[in-house]
Amino acid sequence: MARLEDRFDPRLTRRQLVERAAGVGAALSLGPLLAACGGDDDEGGDDGGKIVIGSFQDNALAPLRDVFFKRFTDETGIKVQYNETNYDTWYQNAKNDGRNKSGNYDVYILDDNWVPEFAAGGIIKNLDELGVKKNPDILAKGLDQGYWPPKSGPRLKDFENDDPALYALVIIDDVEILYYNKEHFPSAPKTWDDIYNGMKSKADPPKLYGWAARGVKGNPIVQTYLPLLNAYGGSFAEDDWKPGFAGPEGVAALERLFTFIPYMPSGVAAFDTDEETQPLLQGKCMALTEYTGLVHRIDDPASSQVVKKIDTAATPAQEKSGPAIGTFIAGIASAPPNEDGAKQFLEWFTSSEIQKAFARHDGSAAVTGSALRDAQASNKFRWLPSIADAVDNSVPKPRTPDEPKMEDILGTALNEALVEAISKKSGYTQIAQKHLTDAANETTSYLKQQGGYFGA
Amino acid sequence: MRSAAPRIGLYSLLVGILLLTLFPFWWMIVTSLKRPVDIFAGVALWPQETTLDNYRVLFEQHHFRAFLVNSITIVAVSVGISLVLGTLAAYALTRFRLRLGLNDSALVGSLLVRMLPAILLVIPLYIVLSKYQLLDTRLGLILVYAGLNTSFVVWLMQSFLDEIPREIEEAALVDGDSRLSALRRVVLPLAAPGIAATAIFSVITTYNDFLLALTLTSTPDAQTVPVGVSTLIGKIQIEWGPMAAAGVVGALPIVIFALIVQRHFVRGLTLGAVK
Amino acid sequence: MAQAVATEARLGWRERISATPYFLLAPAIVALAAVSVYPLFYGIRASLEQYRYGREVGFAGLDNYRAVYHDETFWEALRVTLKFVVLAVTIETVLGLLLALLVARELRFAGSIRVGLILPMTIAPVVVGVIWRLLYASDIGVVNPLFSALGLEEPDVLAHTTSAFVGLVVVDVWEWTPLLFLILLAGVQGLPQEPLEAARVDGAGTMRVFFDHMLPLLRPVLLVAIVLRTIDAIGTFDQVFVLTRGGPGTATQLISIYGYNTAFRFSQYGQAAAMLLSLLAFMSILMVVAIRLMRRAAFGVESEA
Repeated sequence: MARLEDRFDPRLTRRQLVERAAGVGAALSLGPLLAACGGDDDEGGDDGGKIVIGSFQDNALAPLRDVFFKRFTDETGIKVQYNETNYDTWYQNAKNDGRNKSGNYDVYILDDNWVPEFAAGGIIKNLDELGVKKNPDILAKGLDQGYWPPKSGPRLKDFENDDPALYALVIIDDVEILYYNKEHFPSAPKTWDDIYNGMKSKADPPKLYGWAARGVKGNPIVQTYLPLLNAYGGSFAEDDWKPGFAGPEGVAALERLFTFIPYMPSGVAAFDTDEETQPLLQGKCMALTEYTGLVHRIDDPASSQVVKKIDTAATPAQEKSGPAIGTFIAGIASAPPNEDGAKQFLEWFTSSEIQKAFARHDGSAAVTGSALRDAQASNKFRWLPSIADAVDNSVPKPRTPDEPKMEDILGTALNEALVEAISKKSGYTQIAQKHLTDAANETTSYLKQQGGYFGA
Repeated sequence: MRSAAPRIGLYSLLVGILLLTLFPFWWMIVTSLKRPVDIFAGVALWPQETTLDNYRVLFEQHHFRAFLVNSITIVAVSVGISLVLGTLAAYALTRFRLRLGLNDSALVGSLLVRMLPAILLVIPLYIVLSKYQLLDTRLGLILVYAGLNTSFVVWLMQSFLDEIPREIEEAALVDGDSRLSALRRVVLPLAAPGIAATAIFSVITTYNDFLLALTLTSTPDAQTVPVGVSTLIGKIQIEWGPMAAAGVVGALPIVIFALIVQRHFVRGLTLGAVK
Repeated sequence: MAQAVATEARLGWRERISATPYFLLAPAIVALAAVSVYPLFYGIRASLEQYRYGREVGFAGLDNYRAVYHDETFWEALRVTLKFVVLAVTIETVLGLLLALLVARELRFAGSIRVGLILPMTIAPVVVGVIWRLLYASDIGVVNPLFSALGLEEPDVLAHTTSAFVGLVVVDVWEWTPLLFLILLAGVQGLPQEPLEAARVDGAGTMRVFFDHMLPLLRPVLLVAIVLRTIDAIGTFDQVFVLTRGGPGTATQLISIYGYNTAFRFSQYGQAAAMLLSLLAFMSILMVVAIRLMRRAAFGVESEA
């Protein structure tokens, strides 16, 4: 058949096959080659042994990774192997490791709202039972974050009568503080009314915004809202788990945020941390509330155009000041290969001396009073006393494994309310009331469905 | 003979589309060369001050070299395996009528595998790999990806192979070829554009897989580029500059692969086209 | 004579059931089963269990399914996903086909044009989300100034529900039209030229040739491309997560995001499994239909040739 000869060229076949085979062959040999080259294991076979610490990646932990683990090894002879990975992954990996007692880690560094789940689920050990020494210098409210059941606030029915025990030790006091540009606020604004009056008289959007906020649904906007909610006398959850944000206090708090709308960037409903902090760092925003991570950027010329111009204070008050507290917190795994080493590390890092060094190193949010109020550190890093004040005034979030879902429900409602308020420009009270009530109802029915909260 | 006008129109249209397609790419490159403070300073089509800091941070602080090496190795091997397995299977499915309606059920089955959401896969696969000590190893990921990729290789290749008329192989068989050599000498060259397209798609899908790599690895021993990129997303902050740099660096292996393979996008033969 | 007999016997291959194809098929089946059977069973079992404190605490029967079907957010996520997938895949297919037809002719720089056109899908989806978030950003993005330069109101794309959804579709179209283009290009180039030439010689215009002759022949490849892209679109995750996290409100909360949050953030793995298995069942039905359509298309072509 003449057509057949037209159709193919045998030479192409062999060439393709050879190419493909060569490619696979090269890749196959590349693998072992590179494996042979790279990857060295920290062998902890020496005197002190080693501990394995796992964490999620965050800039706040950089000093530990770069300085303090080495110092720990120098002072105790125990080597530190540090694995960090993405936040969501670490949450799963730590849980899997702890639940299955796989023994891959000695210490888990946690986000504080994981503590209820990890403690109740036996994923981390009871530190009181292990005899871990608690440094009395540690600020109380930061320390409290590691207790299960919580010392104050609503409790799950299953743990109603248990004595609070320490399950995790706080290592960084991540708390919300007020950042303000002292060129526009000569003295620290004390109340939300001060903030509003300040922006009304001086703000000139888009050259100068009065406020910036995280508006993305879920966790971000809830963090924006909490300092307001707590200040106005509301709460995330009351002592009986009923939502505390749908009453007049919660509505007033949200309305206050809405009054900032003309003075905030127009895209604020889609802002996360970077979009929020950029106006401040560019000198185009008068003030905002944020967690302590921002302190490392305000005086860094690579990130900031307002070096030395941003001051900090406790978050504004109305009835009172009520910043939300986050904390980086560390627990010991359920099946640690080196439990003594883990204990030693926790006690070492939270000791007054090391915490002072931590604060003096780069102005990190240390957990002890002596470190945060240390004159030498505060001279260099002016925000430290504000952090101490903020911790003392802080309001914890509800302690339950369902907190992320509660945050998602409230956060979605807040975001929808904000979007509506931005487009309607009026009727703030109704908008706030409607969405907050919806969120409260949804939260209550979710908690009822989960069980363990209300009544029998 | 075509006149010049439609040609020019055609090229202008293509150029326009290319510009739209490439602009975000350009934006990514530009962003990767800006300092963090400049990224948010305003709209700039070219950085006021270029810096290679983002790339430096990527390789020094974030183990990116290890991620690249892992990704390339894992993808090359697993895609190679799945191409072979899948093409053979597709060939069987298009050329034979099998018992028990296996043709249809095999296709549905492989599609089902493709449809399994990653979220449902991660925990059971974690457990399986853990049992065989394959967690945080390149081999573990290779095996998982080889299996998963085979699903759509089967699917894509069976449609490309379907296009090739049976008569060609029949002629080769009559001429004395065995089935496999007929496949190799006759069918595969004709299917070259299909194989190339399937290869590119497999490479991209495997290379960019995120959730599985994230869960099944924990150190730079086996972590891949997407995992590396994800470490740039903190709990509350994204490192934009290094992220853009990661996008540029991460895309390079695939672009290079595409350049190599793109010759085969065109059939190396003329199928009776008349000009 | 012997040759003719041998040919006769050979030509009956399609009706004969021989052992060879099973050997060709087996390795693939084993590979596929290895990665899917256990996870499927694990998922089904998980969907029947109650999760508390991050672990299974007891048998829940169909409670998870009940909870999911009563969850308004779940249905909302399905609606959003459906809208998104239909819109995005349709646009991508049409654009991809147009591009494939354009580029299938012999052009100069064809190689570079082809590589240029597929670049969007070579970028990691997370980075795609990040880049577009920068492009859409209200103060520093490119989209706002572009609109105001054209005399239109600045859209603040991600801050409003409808524009965020449209913005997401745009991102997906930008990223994945190249895939459709790639597959359809291979398909177009695989078409036998004789019937098309014959039609042209008979005087049929370009449109007639396309609709009456090319499209039917392309149906198998088209269906495969659409099916694969649809499956992937339903699972879109990384870009959306970075771009909007599912917001504003629930405007872009695809089922993948809601499922992910439910499984990994709210620790309700059982409910997430119930959600996703329900989705899987629904998708399987669709796919069976698609395969039937495709089989008919293949046989249709056979009888023409």
